[in-house]
Formats: sequence, C-alpha cells, structure tokens
Amino acid sequence: MKTHPYLRAYLAGIFVPTLMLPILLTVFIVARIGMQIPTPIEQVMIFPMAVVPSLFGLWNMAYLASQVRLPHAIGLHGAVLPLLMAPIGALVATSLNVMQFSANGLTWFQTCNIPYAWVAPGFVVAMAAYYLVWKYVVGTLNRVLGIA
Amino acid sequence: MKEDELGGLKGLLREALPPVSEDGVPERDLWPAMLRRMDAKAAGSQFALWFDGALLAGLAGVVVVFPKAIPLLLYYL
Repeated sequence: MKTHPYLRAYLAGIFVPTLMLPILLTVFIVARIGMQIPTPIEQVMIFPMAVVPSLFGLWNMAYLASQVRLPHAIGLHGAVLPLLMAPIGALVATSLNVMQFSANGLTWFQTCNIPYAWVAPGFVVAMAAYYLVWKYVVGTLNRVLGIA
Repeated sequence: MKEDELGGLKGLLREALPPVSEDGVPERDLWPAMLRRMDAKAAGSQFALWFDGALLAGLAGVVVVFPKAIPLLLYYL
C-alpha cells in the first residue's frame, strides 16, 4: 500500500469528525426534541458536518507534506488546528445565529453563555483535546494506513 | 573500471570508514552507551505518558465541572 499517500492522509484525518457526527446529532436531537431546548439543529450541524471533517483531512495532508521539510510531532500539529478552526467556527456560528456576542459573553446554541474571561482558558482546553485526539487517534490511523 | 581506479576507490572507502581492530572486536564496550540511550528514550516516553494522562484527567475534570462545554466540544470535533 504505497500509492496515494495524500488520499490516505485525508481519510485518516476525517475519521474522528465523521465518527463524532452521529453522536453530536444525537445530543442535539435529544436536546431539541427530548428536552425541548430551542437549539437550531439545522444551523448547528452545518459547521461540524461540512467544515470540520474537511479541515481535519486537509490538516492531516498538510502534516504529511510538512514531514519532508519540517518534521514535527503530530500532537503538536493537531494542537495548532484550533487556531484555524476557532475563528472559522465562530464566523459560521455567528452568521447562522448559532452564536451571539453580548455584553456578558458569548451565547452558544441560544442557551449556553460563556463569559469572555473563559474564552482563553477554553482555547487552551480545546488545544489540549486536539493534541490528544491527533496524537492517539489520527497518529494511530496514520500508522495503520502506512503514512506515519 | 581500471585497476588503479579500483585501488583509489578502495583507499577512499578505507579512509571514510573507521578502522576495525584485527579480531573484529570494537575498541571500547558499546553496550553501556546503548543502555544509556535506551534508558533516556524510556524516560522520555514515560514523561510523555504522564503528561498525556494529566491532560486527559484535566479535560475530564473540565467536562465534569462544566458540562455545558460538551456541546461546544462536540461542535468543534
């Protein structure tokens, strides 16, 4: 299996978001229908369904390409991804009314209010989560698919 | 390839490679250096394991303390 390394990198990259999508959908459907929380599922699903898997795949392709000139750990590579994804996600969420800016902070899904002071720690948490996901899941898949 | 060219190549190879003793045994014991390298590698991976474990525990703690962060985390995964 030596051909098409970038295709394999893309497939290994989209694995995690594709796996998370049904879980996310279940959580939001339970919240919307089961618990009567007014979450706009249709708008919420656009970013995780259309953007996140592609970004993960492309980011893993970028990792593979960068290994020739600038070898680095895959965990660190993944930890940088929130720097790219957070603004894109916030932009999509704002334009679809999934997230609103207010005087007190950010309001996500019309229910979850996050004070501005928590944005930076939240960012660190996201980077830690991505570091672990990329190191242990995407890295393992890369090895399985013979591109690590 | 002429004989003198072959001889020149042999000479270059001899210069490039470190000399080996007559009986084929290295001049110093290489095993302690090998052990040191293995220990250093194991210590590094042990630290990485602890670091990753602490990160995972921290993340689990954040999710437990702030359950409202779960949909947001799922949104970005």
